[in-house]
Amino acid sequence: MNGGRPALELRGLSKSFGGLDAVRDVDLKIFPGDRKAIIGPNGAGKTTLFNLISGVLPATSGQVLLFGRDVTRWPSHRRTALGMARTFQITSLFPKLTVLDNVLLAIGGLRRTKFVMWRFLSSYRDPHEKARRLLESAGYWERRDVEVRQLSHGEQRQIEIVLALASDPKILLLDEPAAGLASGESREMAAFLKRLDPDLAILLIEHDMDVVFDVVDRISVLHFGRMVEDGATSEIRSSAKVQEIYLGTG
Amino acid sequence: MESRRKLLIVIAALLAVLIVTPFANSYVIVLVTHALIFAILAMSLDILLGFAGLPSLGQAAYLGMGAYLTAILATRFQFGLDWTFGLVVVLGILIGAATAALFGLFAVHAGGVYFLMITLALGMCVWGLAYRWNSLTGGDNGIVLPTRPEFGIQLADDVTYFFVVFGFFVAALALLTVLVRSPFGRSLVGIRENEPRMRILGYHTWLHKYLAFIIAGGFGGLAGVLWAHAHGLVSPEDVVLATSVDALLMVVLGGPGTLVGGAVGAGIVVFLREYLSTLVPWWQYVLGGVYVLTILYLPGGLMSVPERIRGWRARWENGVRVKFPRHTS
Amino acid sequence: MSSQVVRSIAWGLIAGALGLGTFMSPPPVMAAQELRIGFLAPTTGIFAQVGKDMTNGFQMYLDEVGGDFAGAKVKFIVEDEEGKPPVGVRKVEKLIRQDKVHMFIGGLLASTGYALAPVSTRLKTVYVASIPAADDLTQRDSAKFPYMVRTGWTSSQPNHPFGEWACEQGYKRIVTIAADYAFGHEVVGGFQKTFEGCGGRIIQKIWPPLGTIDFGPYIPTMKKDADAIFTLMVGPMSLQFPKQLAAAGIKKPVLGGGTSYDEFVLPSMGDEVIGHVSALQYSAALDTPKNAAFVKKYREKYGKVPSYYSESNYSTAQMIHEVLKKTKGKWPGTEQFVKMLAGVQLETPRGPVRLDEMRNPVHNVYIRVVRKKKEHGYDKDELWNTVVKTYPNVGQFWKYPKAEFLKQPVYSREFPPCKYCE
Repeated sequence: MNGGRPALELRGLSKSFGGLDAVRDVDLKIFPGDRKAIIGPNGAGKTTLFNLISGVLPATSGQVLLFGRDVTRWPSHRRTALGMARTFQITSLFPKLTVLDNVLLAIGGLRRTKFVMWRFLSSYRDPHEKARRLLESAGYWERRDVEVRQLSHGEQRQIEIVLALASDPKILLLDEPAAGLASGESREMAAFLKRLDPDLAILLIEHDMDVVFDVVDRISVLHFGRMVEDGATSEIRSSAKVQEIYLGTG
Repeated sequence: MESRRKLLIVIAALLAVLIVTPFANSYVIVLVTHALIFAILAMSLDILLGFAGLPSLGQAAYLGMGAYLTAILATRFQFGLDWTFGLVVVLGILIGAATAALFGLFAVHAGGVYFLMITLALGMCVWGLAYRWNSLTGGDNGIVLPTRPEFGIQLADDVTYFFVVFGFFVAALALLTVLVRSPFGRSLVGIRENEPRMRILGYHTWLHKYLAFIIAGGFGGLAGVLWAHAHGLVSPEDVVLATSVDALLMVVLGGPGTLVGGAVGAGIVVFLREYLSTLVPWWQYVLGGVYVLTILYLPGGLMSVPERIRGWRARWENGVRVKFPRHTS
Repeated sequence: MSSQVVRSIAWGLIAGALGLGTFMSPPPVMAAQELRIGFLAPTTGIFAQVGKDMTNGFQMYLDEVGGDFAGAKVKFIVEDEEGKPPVGVRKVEKLIRQDKVHMFIGGLLASTGYALAPVSTRLKTVYVASIPAADDLTQRDSAKFPYMVRTGWTSSQPNHPFGEWACEQGYKRIVTIAADYAFGHEVVGGFQKTFEGCGGRIIQKIWPPLGTIDFGPYIPTMKKDADAIFTLMVGPMSLQFPKQLAAAGIKKPVLGGGTSYDEFVLPSMGDEVIGHVSALQYSAALDTPKNAAFVKKYREKYGKVPSYYSESNYSTAQMIHEVLKKTKGKWPGTEQFVKMLAGVQLETPRGPVRLDEMRNPVHNVYIRVVRKKKEHGYDKDELWNTVVKTYPNVGQFWKYPKAEFLKQPVYSREFPPCKYCE
């Protein structure tokens, strides 16, 4: 769909924990603007794969390339600096801080000013402008002074994505953004994701197939750590193999 | 608006201390001076404990470094007894920071209880040095300082010295207030709340914690310089674990993560200790009880009392107006 | 907005003023003739029992005279110095500034003495060092502390005659084993100086750290060809060392610093210390009417035999009273009081005491052997420091000329050097 350099490329990426191969020899290319989902039954290795891509876990073998650069050995924060962002399956926010503070921390992460000690954070104009923009588009500006722990689960999931967007990522990894959401909230989430910048590449893990089919155009299927199928949404929807995996192994 | 009001209250309280103290009896002046110095130490610890979430049990080490440096320079080289006192202050801050920079290499990568244990052990190392390195530190006799510096003003005068210490305290409070509200200070809070998340967000969290550790060490060193001259004696007893624990308790008592809380805690501990120990032989149990009750029933420390009262009042008013709870969840 | 500012400031000022105002009560109205005495002793912590002996000694004298020194009502204020020099300094600041004491007394450790003496100079207040024994307080550093008077002793003072006594017993070669801190160094130093002066040889010096309770690593290394062992232990060390020495089967004569066998620890000791010899300016077994009366009264009142910690503070009170008798209960002023106290000559439980020109006592030194017997008419066999020889009127410089003595460095780990150590 999109020529040129992939935003993210995996080459033969593997991870084993002792004798268990959680991720085996996975190849993947994602181009700017791609919307892709990785599906697979529980224990297929989806989250491990995410952890490898984002640098939470070191790879056993293989390579991760971000915009053409080999980042396999890089720590998370350097990958973030290069334009990758991710959310977590388990909500990982700053529960005792306000919505605004959460977003400001996320914005600050990539700025040099994060080491500035002699000036109030509130005296910087653009982080606040940006936080305002992000929160307004997410519909949270009015509630910016609420502590995050007082929000509902669905609201926290959305803040999680706002945080990921704060670093102006070019590729966004979403780990089950709709997990635990009521169906109405899931639809809102899907709509929210579709509203995002069309140049942003999104890689998504999701069990809620309605969200998957709504948001992405290509799907990869992971099974026992292997990439067994890769294709457009419609192909995967009708793939016999996928049916077998999901029905056969439950 | 809220923060503006807090600022005004702090300024007013500072003015009160500044105006009233010189008219108090001379022992109170001494105690206020001690309290202000320990307030600097407690605030430096609050940067670690309250903001970065690093419970250090070795803060006395930096106080000790600053104090011993001051004492050794004064007794061996007669240095720092005139205008060079200013240089000693700078050197004291530097030696505190340098010690922290060294210790931080061992301590900062650890978290929670391990951080506690490592800082404790490193603090004991400094105590060991003070106690054993007889030729330099005077061993358990410690070092008695000569008369306080004189440079146009005579610090030997207790009121003058109170003003000087007060000045350093206000400067430390101002600097640290800016620090905790700066982008860097906010990053420490983020690390306290969720360090893995901060890493994902692009923060080199180790470096942030390490810098905070060094800064806390620097302010600890400053407290040490002032302490040496306030007390006129530097002894291994100043560097013992109990001093670090005191600093920790001052922060906990006042309210971690509030800066001013550490100062309030320091004042309460210093005054309570002196007056209680005169009144009752079992004063240590009283202090211990106060600490335990604070930790159990007032985890936010004394600084959280106004907020709690507001909370109670709101609940009470609600209870009167609406006879049923608004939220059941 | 502005009314809010005003309100905030007002509240802050009120809060601050209240906080400080509590402590701003005017100085106490002074009675016509009141003598305020601050007393520093550890009343909590590991030294609490010693502290009690110190306080009891002084208190007993006060009770004897009804708290009245020749018309001056004595206000006796005890502060807990916890056995820590910085705490001592803080408490002295309190005693002088808040309680406006005329003098302060005590402190337990030598290091506390070193910390307190400069405060007496800085705040121009009399300090009576009844216990801290650091030599230099009344020797090389004496000039720095014009308001300090010592009524106790210097660490090396009883050990000077003790060295000569050891020569008289025919000991030629002695091993020393002593706690590794300033007090231990000074005790051993004094002994070594005179013992080697009369022809003896110290052939080995062992320094276990303060607080050692397992002497297993040290006892076997002691030279087998020594005639005697000289030891200085403190606290729990003094209980453990004789036990372990006996258990190791070592039967050599044991000589020790006076505090190792003080009446304070003696009741807790076993029969293995019988025959051990020590030197000090006091023994509860001292057979004088004055001391017998003192011991009986003290034991009746406090349920234990007085230690030198009790005696020293008792006689300190006695000496202060003596000065007040001359002034008819009036406070003569700091300088004058120091001068007068230094001129006191008195019969005390320890014997006759006067002070030398550096304001340190000249008194008897007793060579004491631990024996199990009945003393002062008590009907039970107990361990007592039986006096076997008295050296009368011993000063801090012993028989050496003062100037010559002061030229040598203070006794330390390195001085006197161990010439005969192999």
